[in-house]
Amino acid sequence: MIVIKELAKKFKVENPKKLSEQDKKDPRLEGRFFHSVKDVSLRCETGQVLGLLGPNGAGKTTTLRMLSTALRPDSGSIMIDDVDVVASPVLARKKIGFLSGTTGLYGRLTGRENIEYFGRLNGMNEQAIKARINDIADQLDMHSFLDRRSENFSTGMKQKTSIARAVIHSPDVVVLDEPTTGLDIMAAKTVIDFIRDLKQKGVPVIFSTHHLDEVTELCDHITVIDHGLTTFDGSLADFVALSPNNLHEAFMNTLHRSEG
Amino acid sequence: MWLIFRKELLELVRDRKTLFFMIALPLLIFPLIFGGMFYFTAKAVTDSQTKTLTYAVSGAEYAPELIAALMQVESLELKQVEGDLSDSKRVEEVIKAADVDFVLQIPSNFSNDVRANGQLILKLVLNDAQLNSVRSRIRDVTDEIEKVNQRNAFASLNISESIQEAMLDPILIEKVNLADKREQAGAQFGGLIPYFMFILCLQGAMLPAADIGAGEKERGTLETLLLSPIERHKIVLAKFLTIATAGVTSALITVLSMALWTLVVSINMPMGPLVEFISTIDWVDFILVFLMLVPVVATFASLLLTLSIYARSFKEAQGYMSPLMIFVFVPVIVTLIPGIELKGIWAWIPLTNVALAIKELVKGTMDYVQLVGIFGSSVLLAGLLLAFCVYWFKQEKVLFR
Repeated sequence: MIVIKELAKKFKVENPKKLSEQDKKDPRLEGRFFHSVKDVSLRCETGQVLGLLGPNGAGKTTTLRMLSTALRPDSGSIMIDDVDVVASPVLARKKIGFLSGTTGLYGRLTGRENIEYFGRLNGMNEQAIKARINDIADQLDMHSFLDRRSENFSTGMKQKTSIARAVIHSPDVVVLDEPTTGLDIMAAKTVIDFIRDLKQKGVPVIFSTHHLDEVTELCDHITVIDHGLTTFDGSLADFVALSPNNLHEAFMNTLHRSEG
Repeated sequence: MWLIFRKELLELVRDRKTLFFMIALPLLIFPLIFGGMFYFTAKAVTDSQTKTLTYAVSGAEYAPELIAALMQVESLELKQVEGDLSDSKRVEEVIKAADVDFVLQIPSNFSNDVRANGQLILKLVLNDAQLNSVRSRIRDVTDEIEKVNQRNAFASLNISESIQEAMLDPILIEKVNLADKREQAGAQFGGLIPYFMFILCLQGAMLPAADIGAGEKERGTLETLLLSPIERHKIVLAKFLTIATAGVTSALITVLSMALWTLVVSINMPMGPLVEFISTIDWVDFILVFLMLVPVVATFASLLLTLSIYARSFKEAQGYMSPLMIFVFVPVIVTLIPGIELKGIWAWIPLTNVALAIKELVKGTMDYVQLVGIFGSSVLLAGLLLAFCVYWFKQEKVLFR
């Protein structure tokens, strides 16, 4: 279970002159600070898949980075089960599996070595790593390329290896930041199947995306963020109810609510 | 921490580009470049001395003896050129047209009687932009004649041989050098050695540093590493150690390859003095030189990592790093300034003191008390930089630029 409450994060603007016109109009710019995330709250129960929606620059990535401990929030709380993520990030990292569309691999290591490395970093013993890699490789059909250098992998192979890397330590929560962005259809399908599989196993997943069809296919719960604020937080049914025939309109509705 | 260190090393070893710079460059390319340079310079010099040159003479009739002697020289060939060669304009034309390599103008008062004619002036007209040792070749010939003339003149004056010598060189300075060979050679080469070592350490550490910091950022692996349950300072230390290892390895390989090539060359060619010089430096000093490089490498490694982690991409990192090369010159150039020795304040200035100390060690005149200052300040600087690097690595604005 993941509970995020009143999360906020601001960044110092080093050089205000360099900001784009759009950034200058953004209501989140206050003096020398850009309040990327102002007030985001969400809740994801065990076994649920939560879809995080919002336009570009809404604060999705910042929120997910704070959840995954890469960034430290200015205020607010993040709890994964009974672990306070803000207070004890190292402990929380063991519970989180993180993957984004831009996540890379160490090209000069083989697929197996890449995965092993993260297993070891997570404090797993060699036997457990070996067994786990074997399981995941069966599941994602990776045996044919596991021992080749990853720099020569296709996008699909890379994404499979990245997925394996992210879940090698059997995390309690999986966080995905636009996992399908920039992938071809085959590779994106691998990711979707993987999320579905996690859902079946009861592992909570939070993922951000721009593809509304993925949302209807997978999500139980939807949170929309705009301008650093939560503008919608409810079940898929509630979201669809906003505009039953057109998901895009439903999404737009949530955004307009914040403006109104 | 060691886990990350091991993985970084493994990755480094598998990177052909970095390996090339670390191993192939010092092992093969440098000796080839230097060897080639020496070979071609030597060849050019011998060529210039043995190549046959053509020349023309004006006033040959005044000095048949000189002409005869010149004809004896195999590498000089007399050519007939039309026109009046005592005319400077004509001579200029001849040289410009490259009809001959040089023109020798003999004055009309040329004779072997020194007392009657006084000093004689031979004019040698040539284009001296090329290396050809014309002057020394002519000198060889005139010296012979000169000696005979001198002796005749002195004889006619009835001057004894010892007085003759005194008249030719009334005061002779005899130098008695008490500096031993090592100190002398050390003073000559000692300043260059730290320079090479510093540059090589930096060079060897640069590519891995760019790869390990900015490279990871660029490939999107840094974020996943940051999300591993490892404290940030351990990541920094592991990366720092990797870079330092690469730097030391690169320097070590270079030094070893230099030693090896010196041996190879000394077997084929007599390089006595150099080998002798190297063998006078004892092992303690060698080890001290190496030990002193450790804080230097640590300084470089933390600087490089700091820059690398700040950069957004591999290219950007390299852009930040190349000016470092210039900064390294400064403390090393100081050691080349005469009069600056490893004393007082100089012993406490990082990098410079190490460079000075290496020079002293090579010379064999090391004041071992100064090691306190050297190690003290170097370790302090390296430690401060590393601490800054750890602090830097925890800054969100640095990691997620």
